[in-house]
Amino acid sequence: MNRRTFVYNTALGTLHAGLFGIPLPASQQTPSSVRLQIDIQAPDVPLSKLAMPGLFPGRVIQASHAGALLNGRIQQPAVGQMLDQGMRALTGESSARDAWAKFIEPSDIVALKVNPSGTPTTTTSIPLMREVIRALNAVGVPSRNIIVFDRNSNQMEVLGYHNLLPVGVRVVGLDGEWVTGGRKRTGYDPNVFAEMNCFGERETRSYMGSVVSEATKIVNLPCLKEHNASGVTGCLKNLAYGCFNNVARTHRFPKTYTDPAIAVLCTAAPLRAKSVLHIMDGIRAVYHGGPFAWNPDFVWDAKTLLIGTDPVAVDRIELEIVEQKRRDVGAPSLWDRNPQSIGSAADTDRSAQKNRFYREPAHIRTASELGLGRWELEQIEHRKLQIG
Amino acid sequence: MQPAGSSWVTLLGDSERRGGTTGARNTAPKELIWKVTLGDAIRSSPVLADGLLLVTCRDGHLYALDARTGRERWSYAVPAAAHSTPSVSGDLVLFGCDDGAVHAVNRTSGELRWKAQSEGAVWTSPSIHRGTAYFGTDGGVLNAVDILNGRTRWSRRFEGRIHSSAYATDDRVYFGCSDGGVYALEPGSGADAWRYGTGEGVTASPAVKDGLVLVGSEDHVFYALDAGSGAVRWRCQTGLGIASSAAVHAGKVFFGGKDGHVYALAVADGREIWKSPPVRQITAAPVAGASLVCVQAFGATQAYDLNTGAKLWTASLGGSLGSTPIITDDTVYLATFPGVVYALR
Repeated sequence: MNRRTFVYNTALGTLHAGLFGIPLPASQQTPSSVRLQIDIQAPDVPLSKLAMPGLFPGRVIQASHAGALLNGRIQQPAVGQMLDQGMRALTGESSARDAWAKFIEPSDIVALKVNPSGTPTTTTSIPLMREVIRALNAVGVPSRNIIVFDRNSNQMEVLGYHNLLPVGVRVVGLDGEWVTGGRKRTGYDPNVFAEMNCFGERETRSYMGSVVSEATKIVNLPCLKEHNASGVTGCLKNLAYGCFNNVARTHRFPKTYTDPAIAVLCTAAPLRAKSVLHIMDGIRAVYHGGPFAWNPDFVWDAKTLLIGTDPVAVDRIELEIVEQKRRDVGAPSLWDRNPQSIGSAADTDRSAQKNRFYREPAHIRTASELGLGRWELEQIEHRKLQIG
Repeated sequence: MQPAGSSWVTLLGDSERRGGTTGARNTAPKELIWKVTLGDAIRSSPVLADGLLLVTCRDGHLYALDARTGRERWSYAVPAAAHSTPSVSGDLVLFGCDDGAVHAVNRTSGELRWKAQSEGAVWTSPSIHRGTAYFGTDGGVLNAVDILNGRTRWSRRFEGRIHSSAYATDDRVYFGCSDGGVYALEPGSGADAWRYGTGEGVTASPAVKDGLVLVGSEDHVFYALDAGSGAVRWRCQTGLGIASSAAVHAGKVFFGGKDGHVYALAVADGREIWKSPPVRQITAAPVAGASLVCVQAFGATQAYDLNTGAKLWTASLGGSLGSTPIITDDTVYLATFPGVVYALR
């Protein structure tokens, strides 16, 4: 086990990484009232070239298809085309199978990290999951070695993930127990955790999901949507807040510590090493009211996927897309700091002018500073494919 | 009116899937009689037989609670989580488990009588008809077993998961599959009678009335299929997928949609009689009575006037997803996702 310490100066917005037990240099120390210290305990996992930011730092493929939605229903064949062509564009391979084989071996146990928080229109869509499973099968991964997971089994049940995915694929909620290979597993690994005290809460640990330990690769399937605390819930948040428990404590209205918590949690070695690919579901997208987006007025048919190995770059492009949409509808920027924009949950559900938090999308930049990918737009190769 | 101690022996009350109740409750329950917190989430619906409330839990138990007091009379442990709504037949209680088996337990003692092993978790409720229990599995297998000893009469493998509880008649066994099919099989042999392919998975359980198989699909359509041939008699387009099983009562079929509406359609021709204002998505089956329709919808139990759809009452008792309440003359029984069973007056 390895334990690392991160100290965040909330006033300056700076983050310093140190070794656990070794005091930071005086120049990096700050008054405790403006410091958030996060200790990560996780096993040492070697970081291969597949580890975040992965094989293609800074490359983001945006694959769109006008026929991805028809009469309100997602069209799986169109999603399959977007995925196949997007993967080929990402890797430069001539076949989708070869593209996937750059990341996945037949012997892998592949965990698909989905986002089930929201309505059926604002969560990782089943057609996309099926197409990813099809691609994994084509590489030689049997369905029994594919795990679809998230923290919340109830949300996955409501959406039908347990019912509608191919036979053999395991659907696991980290809030329950499951049996694999005759062995009962509990949801969280007691030896892998983040320790932080955001607001004086009683339980200061967040444990990492056991699925992360069990899997040899993680394919991240977040959604393209605004988040009322972190600005957007993209690749980084889907991994960090979907694989560690007890994370809602980082918000206390109107303040959130999603920056730096999201970025720091993503540096946990098992998560960083195994998350090899990020495929963001933007078939429908959310510009306000996320992550649940109960008000359908804030959902639009974007008919797109963002694909990459660099979660920072993908999230940066997502941020730009959501910002553009908010400009189009006259909503404040995600970086808005106007106290007049703070409102209740009901206000937020009704109006894109209001929000419960001062959003903190800078977690994406923080993740870049921690080596997880590229933040600067000039360093991002954003390639758009229009398919059909 | 259903007297206390009456029976509600399987999903939606009885094998007719009428929605179970003839009670005429028009007001919200006002008094807690008892509540019991079980060891984990409850995904299934409770059933009631002769004063015994039977409920499965994800903590791997079937609980038998005294319907009047909530006291546990017995519990039966299984090796994995249980998501299946029990079915009562004679002195047996049958339910499925994530260990891939249906367990048959003595209703009085809670002792195991037999176990029928299959492949994949069993989330469906065993459907019992003329000495045979039919159940589908997560592994895509539909099984017919002898209710006396659990021996397999036949089993069939399909391309998708089966989370739709079968509806059995003398002539056919009907169920849905995640491959998009609604299937009709010969009950004696399991041979195909017909298959109708919808545009998405069918996880809801069908009801059969007046020669029609009534079932919703995740393709946003509710279907009425000819029970003999599988031909479409009518269909109703909804806003999102349908996972809620249908209840049939008084010439109407009721179901909830993931679009948040409760729909009331005429069985005869599919005409919309009413459609409720939207709540958050509904995946549970409604129950219907002499004057109301009741459904658990994402955190609250909603009751609507049977004929007009006007909202009668709402009871907020915490999250509940796939569970249907039991409404008797004097008591409402509810099970919730956080694992609490309520008896309300």
